[in-house]
Amino acid sequence: MSDEARYLYCIVHSTSAAGQKESLGNIGIEKQAVYTIPYKNIAAVVHSCQPVPYHSKDRTQAEGWVLEHSYVIDQATKRYESILPISFDVILREGDSQIEQWLGRNYEQLWEQLDSLRGKAEYTVQIFYDYDCLKARILMADQELNDMQKRIENESKGKAYLLSKKLDQTLKRGVSAEAGRLVEESLVLISEQSDRLAVNDKPSWIPENFRDKKLLASYSCLVHKDKVDRLGEILDAINSLQGFRVRFTGPWAPFSFVDLQEMA
Amino acid sequence: MKPERESSLVEVLDRLLDRGVVLNADLIISVAGIPLIGLNLRAALASMETMLEYGVMEAWDKSSRELYARQEAKIPLQLDEKIIFKAFGYLWQDQGIIKRWVPGVWNVTSSRLLLWLRSPGEVAFEMSLHDLSMRRVFSNTLQRKELELLSSGDLLARIYLSEMDELEAAIRGSSAVALTETI
Repeated sequence: MSDEARYLYCIVHSTSAAGQKESLGNIGIEKQAVYTIPYKNIAAVVHSCQPVPYHSKDRTQAEGWVLEHSYVIDQATKRYESILPISFDVILREGDSQIEQWLGRNYEQLWEQLDSLRGKAEYTVQIFYDYDCLKARILMADQELNDMQKRIENESKGKAYLLSKKLDQTLKRGVSAEAGRLVEESLVLISEQSDRLAVNDKPSWIPENFRDKKLLASYSCLVHKDKVDRLGEILDAINSLQGFRVRFTGPWAPFSFVDLQEMA
Repeated sequence: MKPERESSLVEVLDRLLDRGVVLNADLIISVAGIPLIGLNLRAALASMETMLEYGVMEAWDKSSRELYARQEAKIPLQLDEKIIFKAFGYLWQDQGIIKRWVPGVWNVTSSRLLLWLRSPGEVAFEMSLHDLSMRRVFSNTLQRKELELLSSGDLLARIYLSEMDELEAAIRGSSAVALTETI
């Protein structure tokens, strides 16, 4: 059993440096020297390490490592044609030549993925809505509901209560119908600009300036660079609708769109 | 509308710990023959109070539950046997020329202590809690505290994990186990 191990950041497609080992500098976790292990026109981006996972109970240290990993992925994204990002703390207990052989054994699958990702990046699209704003708009547009609200003001306490319950429910249905319509329509438009689209779970974090709104939909989209502007225009249109807001971030490495299975 | 690169630390963590999982442990094994699991850091991160503030616990909870569900489905449990505690750790294996720390997940169940290797999905070590006693020893080579597991006074195994206190507490909570401190 060898004590040699390599921490794996990503796998890249490199035409310019095909077959050549490249040094990316001391940009790795804890300033480790990051370099490539090439096979044909693909390469593994690694640093040499002990065969022990990174482990810390110190939050700042652990976060630092993840950010450093993220930085290497960003640098690799700038430098290479396409990349397959690897999650944090994946360590291969092998030396360079075994990893090269492993790339060779899985070359077709890796190359197919890298080739399909060329010129594309992942973007996050989140659509938020403002309940009160949509409610007010529905109320304004609907004469019947308007009348109902006026009646509430003049009715006896008991009747007013029942009526306002009914009004609330009608408005709630109206808001969700409108929000639902927007999701359906926008999904079609966003999909048209995306090579692939994944619906995300509820995100763990929402920026401060969106917290007064409700999240309606969250997507990860794999978008070709030629289509990003067009997607931006579509999102602009949604963003300008009263009661809706869009958050658009990226480009990120294609974290949601890499699917490596049954590697040898 | 131009995409922004602005992203919070939580989002970066999400991507790299959750969504970035493009190589699973199975693959690592197929490369290396030895699993190396990035589980411990996730645990460390997830236990952070600040994460609670950001609400990342929800995401962690979900993914960890899924992960554990997958593992639990595989660990062969007896009827009425429940898993009480899990932690990433190591078992010292000394078989003549092969001497190594085997990484896996230590599970305390209602009746056993076992080391589960998610891949290939096997129990690498197990013993009944019934006659288990433990003592902490200091390793001079690695400069850390390790645990020795004994059964009726016989040394059965030497293990290491960072959540040693928690493991002991789980075992103590599960049954009456003699604990001796030798340091």
